[in-house]
Amino acid sequence: MVNSSPLLSLQGVHKHFKAGRNTIRVLQDISLDVAQGEILCLVGESGCGKTTTGKIIAGLIAPTAGKVFFEGKDVSQLRGEAFRAYRRAVQIVHQDPYASLNPTQTLYRMLSFPLFRHRMVRSPAEARSRVLELLQLVDLTPPEDFIDKFPHQLSGGQRQRVSIARALTVNPRLIVADEPVSMVDVSIRISLLNTLSDLQRRLRLTFVFITHDLAVARYFAWEGRIAVMYLGRIVEIGSAPDVTAQPQHPYTRALITSLPEPDPEVTRRKQRISLRSEDIPSLLRIPSGCAFHPRCPWHVPNVCDVALPELAPTEGRSLAACHVTAQTAHHAQTQKA
Amino acid sequence: MRSHQPVLSIQNLSVEYAARRGKVKAVRNVSFDVFSGETVAVIGESGCGKTTLALALVRLLARAAKITSGKVLFHGGDYGAPIDVLRLSQRQLRAFRWRNCAMVFQSALNALNPVLRVSAQVQETARAHGEHDAKRIEERALWLFQQVRLDPKRVYNAYPHELSGGMRQRVLLALGLLLDPQVVILDEPTTALDVLTQRTIIEVLKRLRDEMGFALIFISHDLSMAAELAHRIVTMYAGSVVEIGQVNEVFYRPKHPYTLGLMRAVPNLSGRRAELISIQGSPPDLIDLPSGCPFAPRCAYAQAICHEQAPPLEMRDTDHASACHFWDRLPVLREQPAASSEELRS
Repeated sequence: MVNSSPLLSLQGVHKHFKAGRNTIRVLQDISLDVAQGEILCLVGESGCGKTTTGKIIAGLIAPTAGKVFFEGKDVSQLRGEAFRAYRRAVQIVHQDPYASLNPTQTLYRMLSFPLFRHRMVRSPAEARSRVLELLQLVDLTPPEDFIDKFPHQLSGGQRQRVSIARALTVNPRLIVADEPVSMVDVSIRISLLNTLSDLQRRLRLTFVFITHDLAVARYFAWEGRIAVMYLGRIVEIGSAPDVTAQPQHPYTRALITSLPEPDPEVTRRKQRISLRSEDIPSLLRIPSGCAFHPRCPWHVPNVCDVALPELAPTEGRSLAACHVTAQTAHHAQTQKA
Repeated sequence: MRSHQPVLSIQNLSVEYAARRGKVKAVRNVSFDVFSGETVAVIGESGCGKTTLALALVRLLARAAKITSGKVLFHGGDYGAPIDVLRLSQRQLRAFRWRNCAMVFQSALNALNPVLRVSAQVQETARAHGEHDAKRIEERALWLFQQVRLDPKRVYNAYPHELSGGMRQRVLLALGLLLDPQVVILDEPTTALDVLTQRTIIEVLKRLRDEMGFALIFISHDLSMAAELAHRIVTMYAGSVVEIGQVNEVFYRPKHPYTLGLMRAVPNLSGRRAELISIQGSPPDLIDLPSGCPFAPRCAYAQAICHEQAPPLEMRDTDHASACHFWDRLPVLREQPAASSEELRS
């Protein structure tokens, strides 16, 4: 099912924002491939650049440096219909279902607009039947009860389903879902995630799923991959079970051991890693070398604060950008040889 | 860890909000005790009444809200006899708040005055609640900042904008503990904080409550936080308490289908990847509640009786109460890890 050439590829992507005289380096040297039909989760804390990465993937903003390839084509070179086709193929679902829907429009208007705009339907009757189909697809059933409603008549979970339906109107291939469940109540989060999973399988969609919640990432991307970001860089990437069960990068380990678990005995017995510093560095003053070094319990002076580690094999199965894990992996290799 | 004397005793508390359509019954007939030194987590989803309950305990409700029944008895402090918080005069309330019972709100980012240094806010808070020895307050504040892992001198003289969200949350926590209260109420103490910052707050809270011995009531929708911090869990649904019990009891052997549903809907991080299930439907309208059990329309165990008669909150096991007609039909959710039952016995 997975093709040899990736559906989406980021190569050396940087994104800088200007704030007065300052330059904020939000993304630095992001390279990643997403295969057709794959789920890739971007995980990290606020300010790590995960949302910016999502926006670049969806073509909403352009990278400062580096290239984005979609279906093998350099996105920055696309013009006219070719660019519009790319923008149709990649759709984004935003975090806040209260802010992302126009309160003055019924679901029919909201969902039929892109259909007419992109000339995917010829008559209102055709549009209506397609909108009913979309509502059915996102489990807003029976769709006839929903099609003429306004957003304020829906719950948060139902609104988020409308956002998903809207993303699906133009038959996308890739969906960037930016924290789609973080504003939805616990009891209905899972049904929303299950709907997304179903869609992914049925429509053979590819997902870039952005979340700060590693447990949600593990649940949703069980057969996919997780990329952990810290201060604008990917620090670890691997399959979801590998990254969550055998985290390699000290930052991933700190995240995983810090998270409480929904089981009193398990969470109270968890081994914690303590950091050297509680302070999250400012994006205006990103630490030299490995950006995690001021907080890292494994910090090696004159190495970690000097040289930038690259994503490299580790003793585990994921790749990590860490001098210490790279060295241990190297030792293990030479000993085997 | 837990004494037999409750420090706070909530009895039949009901709160309503006046709305255009009618009365919103936000808190309905809530009763439970909080013992000195123990941590009680009140869990439930948005709109279940947990924040209204917390606000009612310190009488900080909005004008549209009215406490329609109940008592909140406070047994601590130097009042001699227990006092009913709901009957205190405004002047008495001022003394009760902060000295006896402090509340830390969820929007840490907005709770500090941006144009005043932390030091000024510390002193003003102390003065407002009847403590006038500025020197002693400063010493106490510096000591507390140390306890919550802040750089005392720097933070004391800082303006709020110089502090990160996590630091501000810790300042508020220290501010809450300034007058050594017997009860501390935390409303979603770590929402909007990053994972590593959240961990720091959890660790600080655990240490402080063990050292200072205050009772902690924390309001959260985060089951994992509750699992880690609480001795007892109170589950709220549609304004009323549907289950209350020891943390392990509630997590491993829930006796209310709503609690069971919540537990089954939360993804775990370590161990086997559990298959998760959502609860069907959505919470009822608090203005026009259905007759019978308010959870019945969403409940997989509901029978005819559930739609007619609201089940009372009754003891189902040692220290474990639930409001469900069919509590004995619920499965054991998880076996408690074996090693721990050994530990508990010894």
